[in-house]
Amino acid sequence: MMSRTFKQGHWRGTAMATFMLASCLPAFAGVTDQMISNDAASTDDVVTVGMSQGGQRYSPLNKINTSTVADLVPVWTFSFGDEKQRGQETQPLIYNGKVFVTGSYSRIWALDAKTGERLWAYQHRLPDGIMPCCDVVNRGAALYDNLVIFSTLDAHLVALNQDTGKVVWNETLGDYKAGYSNTAAPLIVDGKVITGVSGGEFGIVGRVDARDARTGKLVWTRPTVEGHMGYLNGQENGITGKLNASWPGDMWKFGGAATWLGCTYGADVRLIYCGTGNPAPWNSHLRPGDNLYSSSTLAITPDTGKIAWSYQTTPHDGWDFDGVNEFIPFDMKKDGKTVKAGAKADRNGFFYVLDRGNGKFISASPFVTRQTWTKGVDAKTGRPIEADTRPGDPAQAERGKQVFSAPSFLGGKNWMPMAYNQNTGLFYVPANEWGMDIWNEPIAYKKGAAYLGAGFTIHPLYDDYIGALRAMDPATGKIVWEYKNPAPLWGGVMTTAGDLVFTGTPEGYFKAFDAKTGKELWKFQTGSGVVGQPVTWEQDGEQYVAVASGWGGAVPLWGGEVAKKVKDISQGGMLWVFKLHRAAAP
Amino acid sequence: MAASAWRRLALLLMLVTASAQAEIPADPLQSPAWRYLAQRYFGEAGVVFDPRVKLLLPVSAENPLSVPVHVDARALAEVREILVFADLNPIPVILRYQPGAQAEPSLGFRFKVQQATPVRAAVRTGDGQWHLGGAWIDAAGGGCTTPSLGTGSGLWKDHFGEISGHLWPRENGVQRLRLRVIHPMDTGLAGGIPAFYLDELQLQNGKGELLAKLQGFEPLAENPLLSFDLRNAGVVRVLARDTQANQLRGSVAP
Repeated sequence: MMSRTFKQGHWRGTAMATFMLASCLPAFAGVTDQMISNDAASTDDVVTVGMSQGGQRYSPLNKINTSTVADLVPVWTFSFGDEKQRGQETQPLIYNGKVFVTGSYSRIWALDAKTGERLWAYQHRLPDGIMPCCDVVNRGAALYDNLVIFSTLDAHLVALNQDTGKVVWNETLGDYKAGYSNTAAPLIVDGKVITGVSGGEFGIVGRVDARDARTGKLVWTRPTVEGHMGYLNGQENGITGKLNASWPGDMWKFGGAATWLGCTYGADVRLIYCGTGNPAPWNSHLRPGDNLYSSSTLAITPDTGKIAWSYQTTPHDGWDFDGVNEFIPFDMKKDGKTVKAGAKADRNGFFYVLDRGNGKFISASPFVTRQTWTKGVDAKTGRPIEADTRPGDPAQAERGKQVFSAPSFLGGKNWMPMAYNQNTGLFYVPANEWGMDIWNEPIAYKKGAAYLGAGFTIHPLYDDYIGALRAMDPATGKIVWEYKNPAPLWGGVMTTAGDLVFTGTPEGYFKAFDAKTGKELWKFQTGSGVVGQPVTWEQDGEQYVAVASGWGGAVPLWGGEVAKKVKDISQGGMLWVFKLHRAAAP
Repeated sequence: MAASAWRRLALLLMLVTASAQAEIPADPLQSPAWRYLAQRYFGEAGVVFDPRVKLLLPVSAENPLSVPVHVDARALAEVREILVFADLNPIPVILRYQPGAQAEPSLGFRFKVQQATPVRAAVRTGDGQWHLGGAWIDAAGGGCTTPSLGTGSGLWKDHFGEISGHLWPRENGVQRLRLRVIHPMDTGLAGGIPAFYLDELQLQNGKGELLAKLQGFEPLAENPLLSFDLRNAGVVRVLARDTQANQLRGSVAP
């Protein structure tokens, strides 16, 4: 627990006063709720991961556009250093002349936005026993007031002073020895910092927490598995769902549904959208029922921590089709009307459009070429019609019947966020074409041990490509254009009013495409695979673009046959910053 | 402004100028780092080497990861702060101690030593003067750049933050508190291990009134073992915080 009295103790006050005098820091007001709400429109900063609370990753900036992007050149770079060169899935934040960027192994830096010079660094002291399932990544920080807040691999949430890098508060999100960790960027809503947890492969229980962003004090917590109690201001706040309604026996106690990709926010309807992961264990025969609220999108009210609505994309999941993917609010023009919608490209291969206010099903369209597990979604019920391709029950044997399934468990789309362009009205979805052989095995829960009950191996569906960046029209569900990439796509996407779409490739390229046609207009070799999330902002009258480079993530760990395409990629850990080339003054 | 006030200001300026030019006294330990460390830590304040400041430590470090030291400045009145540093350690300052009215200017601790070095206790009294005592310690070295032992064994995480302690009476109404806090106290100088150490520790009586404060730095030995002489009776509460804002709490009853 925090102690206010100690922090306000005499000697600390004295030390701070001396420091302030010595360094003559300019007084900045700090990041406010209003700045966070307005992040999509304000172009001189990026104060949220997703470039807005809704996560559209759209910028109104257009100096870099389809005509000028060929002149994009590096301005400065920053090496994350150390021997810890693993997946860099981060998104930088830009505020007050500083760039805040997180790195693998729970590290964070503040850099001078003009020069890239390091202002401070923080490395979280991690125990040896951390259990991240899918690489030691971090997906970015949150800014609030004078704090920069990020999650760590040992399931802590750490808030640092933006100017000094000193830790102001530190809260525990879960027991890392039971498999809890956290890699997602926190979301700020009305002065609260909203976080999820990772660890679905270890039988943890998914949860969404809201804390006072200034102090770290818990306001509410909402478990994502039915039967578990929620809390608001320390008081019981009702169990999630109804005990044993969709889970048999005690299986809900270790039910997974990890909220490992965090949440987005629909400000106009005042709902927080959090995706939930697979139910645990993977062997679905041990848990007959829908297993609520696994593989779902939950809409949670920010003030009370209650579930307003839920939509389950894969009921009774048996393929590791997490439903964590970002649900992005957008206004859909259809038949001359504007629909308050939200979209999500799911691991299971469907691109969903729902009413963002009540969760009502609008459409589900495939964004990948093969879905063996389903025959489509019933438009009346919004429920998928399951094909008979579930791996066999191993109850009487060491190993159940093996099946081939597409998408693979790494998903038609994995963690890497898509983007929505308000001009083109299109979503840009980083997809992958792969399947898997999967079979089930007996399993029992044991604290801190993998809780799968399944074996698997991934196969690419096509020889010439796995990754496919696809422009989806949400109104029609049609793919407007696609770009095919040899290796699987694993980086975030950004789009701008300059009619551009940016994303990176494992082959090391950071690329820009024409948002309307998909034509590749620019690429730059960063030296390692790009799995980061691009951003853009304006500084001194010029438009900047930044992305982290550094190969890693789940593919090299779990990719099976995909290894052929990725095994020779160099490790890295670098932030690249670009702007348009300007000729030297004559 | 009245003439007398001007005179007072002039006098004050003279005093300030005089102390700014105060000679840094010659170092009886003949440390190569003495002059710039004196400037860094004492600035324009006066410094004297004073036999009333006793610093007890071994002649040679048997274990460079944990060298026991005891500082005793009870012969001085009005002690405000005790600063302990090792001249030739890569991070010289080991701790700053601020005993309150109910704490004796005396403490014991252990530190990590990198190479043979002078170790000094600088004691600031109410008049702003620093009184110094110290001694050389011989050391084979490496104490600051070696990973903590708990890093290998996992002890630091399994028992992280545990506080144990004991109080027993000594002469003249003083009780001695010995504390142990499980913490790796990583210096950040061992490859791949970030700096991670206790940087604030407070002792309070049972009513929550402050007895003493200690500011820790990287060279304090792993799982700090600290001894304090206190004039209060009864329970002592311990409140500590590390560089990652972990809040540690404990209390010790007589």
